[in-house]
Amino acid sequence: MNLAHVHLLLNHTPTIGFGVAICLYAVAFFGKNETLKRTGLVLLFLAAVLAIPTYISGNFAELRLCPDGQCLPGVSRTLIRAHEDAALLAFCVMEITGFMAWLALWQWRAWQRVPGWNAATVLLLSLVTFGAMANAATKGGSIRHSEIHATGEVVAADQTESGSQPAEEPDATASSGDGEGTARWLGEVMSGTTGVPWLWAASETVHFVGLCLLFTVVLFVNLRLLGMAKSLSFVSLYQLLPLGMIGFGMNLVTGIGFFLAKPAMYDTYVFYWKIALVVLGGVNVLYFTMLDEVWAVGSGDDAPPMAKSIAASAIVVWLGVLFCGHMLPFLGVSF
Amino acid sequence: MEFLQWLEQIPFSVWVREAPTAWAYPTVLLLHTAGMALCVGVAAGIDLRILGLAPSVRLSPLEKFFPVLWGGFFVNALTGTILVMQDATSKLLNVDFYVKMVFIALAVVTVRLIRKRVFTNPRVDDGPLSSDAKVLAALSLVFWLGAITAGRLLAYIPSFA
Repeated sequence: MNLAHVHLLLNHTPTIGFGVAICLYAVAFFGKNETLKRTGLVLLFLAAVLAIPTYISGNFAELRLCPDGQCLPGVSRTLIRAHEDAALLAFCVMEITGFMAWLALWQWRAWQRVPGWNAATVLLLSLVTFGAMANAATKGGSIRHSEIHATGEVVAADQTESGSQPAEEPDATASSGDGEGTARWLGEVMSGTTGVPWLWAASETVHFVGLCLLFTVVLFVNLRLLGMAKSLSFVSLYQLLPLGMIGFGMNLVTGIGFFLAKPAMYDTYVFYWKIALVVLGGVNVLYFTMLDEVWAVGSGDDAPPMAKSIAASAIVVWLGVLFCGHMLPFLGVSF
Repeated sequence: MEFLQWLEQIPFSVWVREAPTAWAYPTVLLLHTAGMALCVGVAAGIDLRILGLAPSVRLSPLEKFFPVLWGGFFVNALTGTILVMQDATSKLLNVDFYVKMVFIALAVVTVRLIRKRVFTNPRVDDGPLSSDAKVLAALSLVFWLGAITAGRLLAYIPSFA
């Protein structure tokens, strides 16, 4: 099994899985069923979490399909580029939807109801995401399924591709990204060498600031549950969770930027582990957002054993993310 | 200059810089990043709370987190010294390094002032915070942000010699 398999496995979550989530949420939204609505929100959030490894593994699948820039017979790079751009767009709206769905869950816990504006926003965003995701999925499917598109389409795509082969030599008239699509263009902009020179260093700084904000919340919430500063109630610390999400959001945006610039550099076990741990972190935050037993930890209370173990695991998970990210240049492919 | 070269050449510096093991330079740098997460993570949390974020979190129990902050700071002072030693001729001749040190010194002063002015008040959670406290918290955030930025840019800004 390689990363292409992983991509094929995972890509059903943001597409079919998301479709199920959206149906559930829409039924609950119009049927005014609060429990079902929360279930739908959890599924929308989890789909957004799993969209992260899905998007990233797509680039690794390309590296398997086109090793050393030479695509396997019958694989069109033009179709891959079209899929990549559609997937990037779908990924962006999916992450926004996931964030708003999480916010709705957070609001429900804090106020026992989801404000109407956000419930409607999530529905609207998830419909847009579903459209974008369906488009990305169709374009992804056509890379390896010649039976689903008209023959002319492939021929046209291949002709465009072979037509662009000579232009691979240095061409002064070529614009940045040399017509390879939005995702590649963004990667070029990010890379520092061909794009905006200070953008990489600035993004690294933002990545560090986001890390600090995420750790603010990870430390305050989890060290409290483990017994430090017990006079703080969980209900009060709960107000901090969105700050951690914002920190994570800053790091997701900048992190995807780094990844777009040099995807091949991240094709290494240290990075696979980092992304796996990020997914675990996403599941972890659901515990703190949803579970009654942790919500009930009041001022002076000792947290129940389950809450303590989840708190300890949260610290381990996020330190693990930091470890893997930091060790990329040393244990992974050399930068 | 000779002193800086000597500093770079003592066996410990050479080991940190050149040993082909993840326990040398990579681990020192990792601890420096983790220490930053502890130190600035806690400091930023306290500052943001003083500035009005998460108002239902009572301030006085947050004092318990100061050891985490200083623990992270101590780790970074130690690992930072090692990182400077093994690259002394470059780091100590870099303006950006001194900018970073000034930011850290100012940030430490604000953290200590916040501890003294805000946390020694037993009635801190009974009423609104003074504008002095808010100014200190805002300054602390700016100084830590400056320290992180200057630290990151050390990898990009060339030294002057």
